[in-house]
Amino acid sequence: MTAGTLAQGEATGTFYIASSLAAALDALNDYGPEGAAFAGGTWIMRAPIRHQPLKTRHVAIGKIPELTEIRIGTDAIEIGAAVTHAALASALADLPDFAVLTAAAGRSANPAIRSLATIGGNLATSDFSAADCVPALLCLDAQIEVSSRSGRERMSLEAFLTQRSTLAPGRLLTKIVVQRSRHKTAHARLPLRKAGDYPVAIVSLSFDVDTANYVRAARIAIGSVETVARRWDRLEAALLDRPLAPARAADVAAELAGEFVGRESVEVPPWYRVSVLPRLVRRATAAALGA
Amino acid sequence: MSEISATMDFRRRDARDKLRGRTRYTMDRYLPGMLHAAVLRANVASGRIVRLDTSRAARMRGVRAIVTAADAPGKIGIGIADHPLFARDVIRYDGEPLAAIAADTLAQAQAALATIDVEIAPLPAVLTMAESLAPAAPLVHPDWRDYEVLFEGGARSGNVAWEATVVRGDVDAAFARSDVEIVESSFRVGRQNHVAFEPRAVVASYEDGRFHIETSTQVPWTIRNATARILGVPPSQVRVTVPPVGGAFGLKFDLAIEPFAALLARASGQPVRLVNSREEEMLTCLFRENAEIRIRSAVTRDGEIVGREAVVLMDCGAYGGEQIFLTTMTAHTLGGNYRLGSTRLVSRAVYTNTAPNGAFRCCNGVYCTFALERHTDEIAARIGMDPLAFRRRNVLGDGDLGATGQVFEGNVLAPMLDRMDTLREAAAPSRTLADGRLFGRATTVGTWFVFVGPSAATVNMNADGTVTLVTSGVEIGSGSMMQSLPQIVAGTLGLKPDDVVVRAADTDAAGYDVGVGGGRTTVSLGAASLSAAQEVRTKLLKVASEMIEAAPEDLVMRQGRIEIAGAPGSGRTIADVATRAQAQLGPVSGTGAFTGAGVPAMPGCVAGHFIDAIDIPVFAVHDCDVAVDPETGHVEVLNYRVVQDVGRALNPRAIHGQIQGGVVQGLGYALHEEVTIDTHGRVRQNGFETYRLPLALDVVPVEISLYEGAPSVGPLGTKGAGEVPILNVGATIACAVANATGKRVQELPLTPPRVLELLLDRKGELSLSHIAEAWVDNLVRPHGTAAQNRK
Amino acid sequence: MALSLTVNGDRRASAADPVTPLVDILREEFHLTGTKPVCREGFCGACMVLVDDRPTPSCLMPAALAEGSDIRTVEGLGTGDALTAIQVALETCDAVQCGMCFPGMVVTLTHLLATSPEATRDDIRAALSGNICRCTGYERIVDATLSALAVK
Repeated sequence: MTAGTLAQGEATGTFYIASSLAAALDALNDYGPEGAAFAGGTWIMRAPIRHQPLKTRHVAIGKIPELTEIRIGTDAIEIGAAVTHAALASALADLPDFAVLTAAAGRSANPAIRSLATIGGNLATSDFSAADCVPALLCLDAQIEVSSRSGRERMSLEAFLTQRSTLAPGRLLTKIVVQRSRHKTAHARLPLRKAGDYPVAIVSLSFDVDTANYVRAARIAIGSVETVARRWDRLEAALLDRPLAPARAADVAAELAGEFVGRESVEVPPWYRVSVLPRLVRRATAAALGA
Repeated sequence: MSEISATMDFRRRDARDKLRGRTRYTMDRYLPGMLHAAVLRANVASGRIVRLDTSRAARMRGVRAIVTAADAPGKIGIGIADHPLFARDVIRYDGEPLAAIAADTLAQAQAALATIDVEIAPLPAVLTMAESLAPAAPLVHPDWRDYEVLFEGGARSGNVAWEATVVRGDVDAAFARSDVEIVESSFRVGRQNHVAFEPRAVVASYEDGRFHIETSTQVPWTIRNATARILGVPPSQVRVTVPPVGGAFGLKFDLAIEPFAALLARASGQPVRLVNSREEEMLTCLFRENAEIRIRSAVTRDGEIVGREAVVLMDCGAYGGEQIFLTTMTAHTLGGNYRLGSTRLVSRAVYTNTAPNGAFRCCNGVYCTFALERHTDEIAARIGMDPLAFRRRNVLGDGDLGATGQVFEGNVLAPMLDRMDTLREAAAPSRTLADGRLFGRATTVGTWFVFVGPSAATVNMNADGTVTLVTSGVEIGSGSMMQSLPQIVAGTLGLKPDDVVVRAADTDAAGYDVGVGGGRTTVSLGAASLSAAQEVRTKLLKVASEMIEAAPEDLVMRQGRIEIAGAPGSGRTIADVATRAQAQLGPVSGTGAFTGAGVPAMPGCVAGHFIDAIDIPVFAVHDCDVAVDPETGHVEVLNYRVVQDVGRALNPRAIHGQIQGGVVQGLGYALHEEVTIDTHGRVRQNGFETYRLPLALDVVPVEISLYEGAPSVGPLGTKGAGEVPILNVGATIACAVANATGKRVQELPLTPPRVLELLLDRKGELSLSHIAEAWVDNLVRPHGTAAQNRK
Repeated sequence: MALSLTVNGDRRASAADPVTPLVDILREEFHLTGTKPVCREGFCGACMVLVDDRPTPSCLMPAALAEGSDIRTVEGLGTGDALTAIQVALETCDAVQCGMCFPGMVVTLTHLLATSPEATRDDIRAALSGNICRCTGYERIVDATLSALAVK
């Protein structure tokens, strides 16, 4: 049991505010395992309640211009890793193909948290299963850029999710790249209250629907149900080349939901996370069709 | 009696500074040379302390004092002295204190805690009441027989810390009648955390051989007396003062962390501040207790309740505390609302190896009302009667007997039900919802009381025409000390409430008081204040009558003047009269005292009760509409309505504020706030991420009607209005959800998973196998055998 | 290395560890105790301060990151003894009970008044989803905000 956070502590740690990406990568490289990138801080600063020790050396990346930019191109958008949820939601508000990401970034947690928490932090925090942006970006088939002193590499978000907890010191998630499309997208999340808490289940989806309302491509991602968000391949396949209808999507989801095993948690029993999926699929599908 | 009405929407004087962040709560206090303290707590639910070595911690930088069990010889409790300050030899719950350290900084105190060498040998633990009541269960207090009994009358045995019984009439005969339906219901509720925003906090110092404890409490005199008892010093050596309290709700109705700071201040010779972390608050707050209830009624087909019996199990956690007293309340809550031909009730406080529970706004009442009202709906369904008609037929009215045989005065609940009809019809809710959600509505009634008891007040008349009101009352946020008390005094003396200075609680300055809670501030402190003000009035009128040359009975006090009745502007200002009085006779003051007269119960009906009958009943009628999502189990409250018996509303706007806030706290209890205990005995919800309080989007504006005119011995006809709004919220929501879903709601809170579980029939009926089938088999001592011992 | 913070217009120095939550430095070193650490998780909003005019839970802000920013606590919102518009509205509506959440409420609503003049009842409720009140049941806080918006 902790007895409050330390005030009046002696200055023992290092907090380096990097002004450029190169400087941040140098510092992270030098600090090695003692160091950690510090973006919004909404996860790191809560270490005491998790009874986790703070790292002694932090590299703040939130003031690096390159990492706080959003570039909206005709073919793709590029999002710096230190872009906050609030900034992202506001930048994408008028792009219908990113409705899913706007909703994910614009409704997570609460307003003050959204103005601190970053998209990079949301993707990189492997202990945080209820991240809204992870399924949203999975259904957008996002690419992740990871940088280190030796260069930059691109990988799929899926690949990043499998590596993130073992990413070597000095390697930093720097950018998210998403191709633009005419897809209809939507994000359905289920908090236990109306808002303000983490969703117990998330359905993010992206459909390419032809003029006859047939699904030509589908990407559906499920978040918060299991420890790590993932695509729902079987549901995608079942909806393909059929007319898109919320009720039918929900029915198929109900048939297939058994493949998920809800994670253990204080908030809700595991079965609950799974059993609300059909409802969320219907809601998200209806929202996508409305978009 | 007064020409100036005490009734008004008087604003509160503490709002401005609270809005500007200038108010200094206990946690904000800072004294020169002040040390910071932290408490080492056990991390097992049950164990034997093999070794506790603080020698290394004592050498740590900045450490000024360390105290352990050896420094606190006494034990405290309500009814039974079972609770030491620190675990001594034996640990009974996860989080039990082992040692406390004061250091120059909090960081140093925490660092030192980590160096205390503790070895604990685990012992078997009982974590639920079912485990605790099982045959051959390990005893939480193996030496329970040796404890000092502070209040006679309760039956005790092993893990049953206290048992209180009520028997009135021949229940067996009622149940044996051929013309009755027997309806049985079982219920279970979890704990609720108060989440007072200011945690338990204390700043203590030790000067001239006395402790001065500044603390965030509702009960300065309890802190004084209990600290003295724990420390083994005379109570007169403890002075308690109370800054503004940042929320309490019953949490601060008992001794908490004060003795740690007091001991450390004495040991170090420096002031010591100790503030609980949020995690400590989440894991060891004196929760509203979890409870299990079985209730059975024998009801005729035309709706007469001829017999009722119930078993109520209340988890007190590792120490008896408040639950021992609360066994009393079942008679007045579960045994309330309705006329009963005969009844027998047993209420048992049960020890478990979990964090101790305590008092919380309408203690016991919220879940007993939930159980009673859901049971009432089940009865109505069984006999095919409309639930409202059934209630109308049976609610307590003038001359009816309560469970313990007390005679109720006045018809209150029936006209309140009529009043609710008008509120509800005006709202005219839709019965079908277009979005596929299930609609449900319910009306419930509830019985609560005012916890009267001793209070003292002094009113000092100042020569400048103001008065100073000195009491041990505490402003916990409800506004009673800021609004109703100055209104009562001002109304008596013809002053503006702003001219009444309200002294903050100080046990060195004001007389004994039970504390702020149980809806008693306006009633008990108000009555004492009224009587003190009346004494001042009498003295002033006597002096004024000589000055004005008119008989005292011809004089009135209004608008800061003493005038001849019917002649505004005649006479003198109160300041003039007070100045003259002071010069002639010395400063004018008055004192007042109050305590409940005590209403009789029927002889032989009760055993083990602290209060046999309630002096001032308080009734409430609640009604709500809900929408239930059949696929997620989310319950949305669409409308909420309250008709509340307030006796007389001195400050209607303030009471409305209490009702809105109390109902929302009840919505948290009914729908969101859940406490669960893991297999090691630790509370799982350690912060605001997992313990979900209602947010602004989750609430509705409550439609309110204040019912005035019910009999009350409170000053000016008042009753407590701040506690009761939470009383039947759990009941009303539960009944509405049951009506919406057609399912048998037996547990609270109705979180989305629990509702969905009901809708999907995932879980069987609640079974409470540790409650014996025959009522009498649940008793450790047959009713009546020792019940009269204390009489 | 000492931290340099600009709080309510004043330059203040602190020797605390750079990752110390801002709320602790405000309270324990500068004695600006209007800012309340209640949950320390960013859910309750009682420690909200304006950092460059943006409502920020000061429990989640390391002091080092606040260097160079204009930090405004509840104590720095009014001028002299005068209440701000939202404070006047909250007092007039008799919204305050225990008062612990109000410094944070005032900070959040000060921002809302400045940035969302057209806010509806639901907008206000949504804006308060990171400010918890345990006493009042929120309605009067929402009413007061609407009345303050109407005055503007």
